[in-house]
Amino acid sequence: MCTLVTGMLPLLCAPALAAGFAVGAIQPRATERILQVNGNFDLSLTPKVEEAIGKGIPIQLVFDLRLYRQRPLIWDERIKTWDLRRELSYHALSGQYLVGGVSAVPADRESFTSLNEALTELGTLDTVALSIDQALAADAAYRLDVRVRLDIEALPSLLRPVAYTSRDWNLNSEWTTWKVQR
Amino acid sequence: MESATLRKYLIGVVPLTVLSVLLVASLFMMSAATQDSGFLGRIYSVLLLINVLGISTLLVLILFNLYFLLKQYRARVMGSRLTLRLLLMFVALAVAPVAVVYLFSIQTLNRGIDSWFDVKIERALDDALLLGRTSLDAIKQDLLKNANEMAIELEASSNRTVLPTLNYLREVHAVTELTLFAQDGRIIAASSQEGPESGKLIPDRPSDTILSRIRQGQTYANIDASARSGLRMRVVVPVYARDVGAPIRILQVLQTLPSRYAKLGESVQTAYAEYEKLVYLRGPLKFSFSLTLSLVALLTMLVALWAAIFSARRVVAPIRELAAGTRAVALGDYKKRIPVPSHDEIGILVESFNEMTRQIARAQSQTKRSQRETEMQRTYLETILTHLSSGVMSFDQRHLLRTHNAAAGPMLGIDMAAATGQSVDWLAQAHAHLAPFTNSIKDALRAGGREWRAEVTLIEDTPNRRTLLLRGTLLPGLKGRYGGYVVVFDDVTNLIHAQRAAAWGEVARRMAHEIKNPLTPIQLSAERIRHKYLRMLPEAERATLDRATHTIVEQVESLKGLVNAFADYARPAQVRPRAIDVNHLVRDVVELYRVERGPVGTDTLVLRGAEGRERGSNIKLKLELDANLPAIMADAGRLRQVLHNLLLNARDALMQEPKATIRIATRHVVNGAQSIIEVCIQDNGPGFSPDLMDRLFEPYVTSKVKGTGLGLAIVKRIVEEHRGSIAAENLSNGGAIITIRLPVSEAAREFDKAGALVGTDARRAHGDPGG
Repeated sequence: MCTLVTGMLPLLCAPALAAGFAVGAIQPRATERILQVNGNFDLSLTPKVEEAIGKGIPIQLVFDLRLYRQRPLIWDERIKTWDLRRELSYHALSGQYLVGGVSAVPADRESFTSLNEALTELGTLDTVALSIDQALAADAAYRLDVRVRLDIEALPSLLRPVAYTSRDWNLNSEWTTWKVQR
Repeated sequence: MESATLRKYLIGVVPLTVLSVLLVASLFMMSAATQDSGFLGRIYSVLLLINVLGISTLLVLILFNLYFLLKQYRARVMGSRLTLRLLLMFVALAVAPVAVVYLFSIQTLNRGIDSWFDVKIERALDDALLLGRTSLDAIKQDLLKNANEMAIELEASSNRTVLPTLNYLREVHAVTELTLFAQDGRIIAASSQEGPESGKLIPDRPSDTILSRIRQGQTYANIDASARSGLRMRVVVPVYARDVGAPIRILQVLQTLPSRYAKLGESVQTAYAEYEKLVYLRGPLKFSFSLTLSLVALLTMLVALWAAIFSARRVVAPIRELAAGTRAVALGDYKKRIPVPSHDEIGILVESFNEMTRQIARAQSQTKRSQRETEMQRTYLETILTHLSSGVMSFDQRHLLRTHNAAAGPMLGIDMAAATGQSVDWLAQAHAHLAPFTNSIKDALRAGGREWRAEVTLIEDTPNRRTLLLRGTLLPGLKGRYGGYVVVFDDVTNLIHAQRAAAWGEVARRMAHEIKNPLTPIQLSAERIRHKYLRMLPEAERATLDRATHTIVEQVESLKGLVNAFADYARPAQVRPRAIDVNHLVRDVVELYRVERGPVGTDTLVLRGAEGRERGSNIKLKLELDANLPAIMADAGRLRQVLHNLLLNARDALMQEPKATIRIATRHVVNGAQSIIEVCIQDNGPGFSPDLMDRLFEPYVTSKVKGTGLGLAIVKRIVEEHRGSIAAENLSNGGAIITIRLPVSEAAREFDKAGALVGTDARRAHGDPGG
């Protein structure tokens, strides 16, 4: 019973924290069939999340990208969406933080001795090339909507109810819009 | 009923059961998901959401039901109280144990989870990790020392000739991979244990952070956990140039750990990580378990609550129906049938109720039918009694008047409505003239005969004397006893009068026959004696003989008149009806007696036989004739005789009257469908003698010295021959009036329309039968 109450506490009195994800600067550049994205995200974690990582729980970040073709007067046409996943985990024996891509992003893992280094690496998109199914029109304007979020469904099932109901785990950034360079 | 039950189940039971089963399954899966990282683990959140929503739905449904139940309770709907009471009982029975089990489970769960984690195990794992790190540190230090030595050896080698040296050094120091980078991170040369067949063309590159650290003169030595091929040691050291000012180079040594080390290290790492994870997830685990348990408990309680509502309703439904049925029966609806819910005791009760109402309905309809029959019988009897000319009265055992028919009241001359429910004695007291009637009844009752008969005469007032013939019978009552008696009575006054008249007729006929024959010889003989012996006798005796014979002749003449009158009375009716105008007839008769004409409508006349009166005291005659008189079918001669007789009677009555007046009036009276002509002859004489009043029209009843007593009898007879009636009464201011009523027949009416009337041509005077 006590556990139930303490478990629900975050829901009731979650402290307001400045920590969270934000989209830094994105430079999308498109050729006819390829969208090349450079950019960085400000990823800062709450102590709760840091503690969870330190205790060996991996977290997954999802970078949502949506490509729109801008049209005057009517709504913009959505061309394609991508969700890029990256994982951050802690290796206790070596005391290192490991950053790896789950899909789309380079699959090689990199290890970092400090969490900040790992987060910087995690929040950097370095010339990520994404393929587009249809050829982009040369004279049309395109925009890219971007956000980054923590995938709670990728957490261990036990942690999910807590994560869903706690502000500590609510780190998602707002959607940001960027003009696609040609 | 079958379809209703089916619908009830489809609406109420099946969906809720399905929902409950689904929720239980979902909770089961959720419970499994907390342990499982497979498919169930992935849909854990969905399961949780489904459960919360399902339970909320269930809760809403139950609250909805409870709300309705409370509303019904407030509205005092039949059965709602019992439902609520049963519900509370079921809830107390179901929820209390679940709550107790729930609380104990939560406590046990928390303690159990806490007991999994042991401080010693945690310490051991920490130590194991530390041990691993320490042994790896030793390897690392060795490798760092070797790397430094290799760096010193490489100082002399130029970039072009460095590869053989690298290969040599790798061989000597037995490391996995050696790579030399320029200061900017560019690869100068690399030597790897693995051949090109490993598929790895580009040597592993340290991160920029490491490179910048080296450029600052520091070294880097650490385990690399990111590699796919297991743990390896990465050491990066600077390679200083011999030439002053030349840029430094960077040497990276990669050493794959021996497989034994790697395995052990990995094992320690995994175990430690798992344990740490478990410790960290202890709170969420408890929360999750508690949540699951709470949801299960909640679901159980809600299902129990719902089952309680459903069961209570089901148990109470037949009772409610029964109560409603009882109420309906109390209000008189005997057709109410209740569906039999089951074959248990309540079912038997309902069946009994149905049987009871069926029997009541049957009895009720039977009663109604017999009531209707009785009513018909009663109406039938009543109709017969109403149209009976005899009077009928019935009395109960206490001698109280129960019923009577319409003819009884007029016959007795009393208002029967007031008499109903009164006793025989009351009748005698309230109506003194009924005394002979009531006495006769009482006598008969006292005698106690089953049937009796009596004749009584009622004297209401002097002229109205009625003779009633009474017949009484005991009425059958309940259980063989007598329930009262009925008295039937007939007015036989007219019958008696008719009998008397018939008897007088016979007397008259005989008298006429027997007396008339010897009269003529007597008269002739007397005249012959006179004629023969008058001259022969001396003067002295002559006067005597003359007087004697004269007297004989005169008396015989008188006797002849008397005999003729009797003969007239006894003569059988020979009415020859024709349409006549009564007014003309009256005027014709009056014309015979007129002396001189007076003012309009009034004639002063001297009637025959009244010649002796002084001229100033002549009798005045007033005629008040209705101008619109219809014709009647009558024998003009007979009617003329009636008028003669009455007029002469009036004259005789007025002999001593100084201001004598006779009034003759006619008028037309329409009484419903009956059309009557009324002729009144009124005088202002002394009136009829009271003791003669009721026998006035009988023969030989007269107040005159010289009267035969047949005048009015003949009048009555003629009127009756015309199907009319005659009445005589004394006026309060002196005088008498005789009223003749003659019906206007249909034939006369038609005749009247044709306009041909008789009466004016028959100006023939009849002889005076009255004398």
